[in-house]
Amino acid sequence: MQTLKHIGIIALNTFRESIRDKILYNIGLLAVGLALFSIVLGEWSVFDRAYVIKSTTLSVMSLSGLLISIFVGISLVQKEIQRRTVLTLLSKPISRATFIVGKYLGLLAVVAVHLALLTCIYYSILFLTNSEPTVSLLTAIYLIFWELAVVIAVALLFSSFSSTTLSALFTLGVYFAGHLSDQLLEQVRFVNKMREVSDSSAALLEKLAVVIHAVFPGLYRYNVTSYVVHGLALPDMYLFWNTVYAIGYVGVFLAIASWWFSRRDFL
Amino acid sequence: MIQIEHLHKTYRSGFLMKPKLALKDVSFHVEPGQIYGFIGPNGAGKSTTIKVLTGLLNFDSGKVLVNGISPRDVKSRRFIGYSPEQPYFYDYLTGRELLQFYGKLVGLEGNLLNERITWALQLLHADKDWIDRRLRSYSKGMMQRVGIAQAILGKPKLLILDEPMSGLDPMGRRDVREAILELNRDGVTIFYSSHLLSDVESISHRVAMIVDGRIVREGTVDEITDSCGIEYHVRTREAIAVKDLPEGVVLAGHPQEVICADDVARDRLLRYCLDNSIAVERMEHKRPSLEDVLTEEIARADA
Ligand SMILES: Nc1ncnc2c1ncn2[C@@H]1O[C@H](COP(=O)(O)OP(=O)(O)O)[C@@H](O)[C@H]1O
Ligand SMILES: [Mg+2]
Repeated sequence: MQTLKHIGIIALNTFRESIRDKILYNIGLLAVGLALFSIVLGEWSVFDRAYVIKSTTLSVMSLSGLLISIFVGISLVQKEIQRRTVLTLLSKPISRATFIVGKYLGLLAVVAVHLALLTCIYYSILFLTNSEPTVSLLTAIYLIFWELAVVIAVALLFSSFSSTTLSALFTLGVYFAGHLSDQLLEQVRFVNKMREVSDSSAALLEKLAVVIHAVFPGLYRYNVTSYVVHGLALPDMYLFWNTVYAIGYVGVFLAIASWWFSRRDFL
Repeated sequence: MIQIEHLHKTYRSGFLMKPKLALKDVSFHVEPGQIYGFIGPNGAGKSTTIKVLTGLLNFDSGKVLVNGISPRDVKSRRFIGYSPEQPYFYDYLTGRELLQFYGKLVGLEGNLLNERITWALQLLHADKDWIDRRLRSYSKGMMQRVGIAQAILGKPKLLILDEPMSGLDPMGRRDVREAILELNRDGVTIFYSSHLLSDVESISHRVAMIVDGRIVREGTVDEITDSCGIEYHVRTREAIAVKDLPEGVVLAGHPQEVICADDVARDRLLRYCLDNSIAVERMEHKRPSLEDVLTEEIARADA
């Protein structure tokens, strides 16, 4: 009970810190600008206007959310350590895990608010341009949220034991690996099958692809733009299982970060 | 209240993880109700010891208990208030917001929280209008006062302050000194480090002196200064040439003043003055200050 309260207090303070940070506004403004720009794109493009607006704005949401998650995420813990505010905070009766989870939830709330605001703008644009504002778009946004939930946990994990620059690079690495891992596996399997001869290097390559696919969070699952803009139905229980999947990864990453954090010295 | 026995701490830093032994066999006890001063030159290991006590640093070996609980246990921090050296806080908050944040973390809410904040600010003479400005604009002295205020909000049994007087002007130092005394009257045990020895001398019940990671003296101020031996400062009407000075007597800063290391040296000097008809103007029996003892210990450590 006490712990939950502490997590809430820290999350709230993190939220406050982030919304008083300039970087957030820059990213937010950029996102709004790009969303508006999608209207122009829709007019110019040879493709269907509704299709262009929908896919552009979804990408804008995903990318701007990614920027916030990475750049604010890696600085969350680093800033506390560099400015030595962590000393006072951790001298209070709160555990290191409470600290990590509180920081995490604070930023997650920021990302949720960011997505919610963009969603409003998004639907306004669709209404104003008469571009079929369907409810199914919300599922795509819902999945973007869970993808970002994983990315924030990755950023937090890396930043709890490496510098900000390295953390940014590592987090981007995980992001791309997570998006490409299933294609990579498919391609490798396909090529190996085509060649028909199986040598050891091909087997090794396939094993590597399997490992990458298994270890990195499969972020490709959270990009359902093509389903949604074409009005296709997602498989049964798709949202449920991918929510569980994201929560599982977040739990593991935060547990590792907390474990590492509870062993380290604060100078 | 604090129990430290045979504490060793090694820092590893840089790419090669070069070890640096920062605390060597540190032992001392702080009893409930004491004002306990922790003194030593820069880099002696004061902040390191304090961070071990607050659970911020791991240590190699030894036994550390705070109120009977290991500092690695979160529970130990329920009884502690801590203000770090050069406290630095979230600069996007105002002083009051900061105190509200920390107050909530120690379980305060609503009216009680506001009462405590008012109380802490009054105690530290920080109930001024700057408390509602963002911390970004604070001077060192304001930060120091807010730092101590956040440490006492939860009415801790043990208050640990790392250099609470540094960065303060003489008035600020007096305010902090008085706040420490006032809290102590209410039963709070206070463990604090400082290199401003005159302040330590005037308010501490006991003192531990650390030099180069080792505790070199421990006891009441009187015990420590007694152990250093008593000097006599003698002023003569005319200067005595250096070559004529009896054994155990050295020149002081003033040309007509000499210092006798002990009673024997004093007697030798007096005999020399009588024999040579040199008038003695006055003689002072000087008890060494903590500073004298510390200077001596630093010199010994360097040798
Ligand atoms: N992060 C660190 N890495 C390596 N050595 C350190 C570190 N922090 C402190 N030290 C060393 O430990 C010793 C004690 O430092 P500290 O406890 O800060 O001293 P004090 O507070 O008494 O001035 C110093 O010699 C310092 O060089
Ligand atoms: Mg120090």
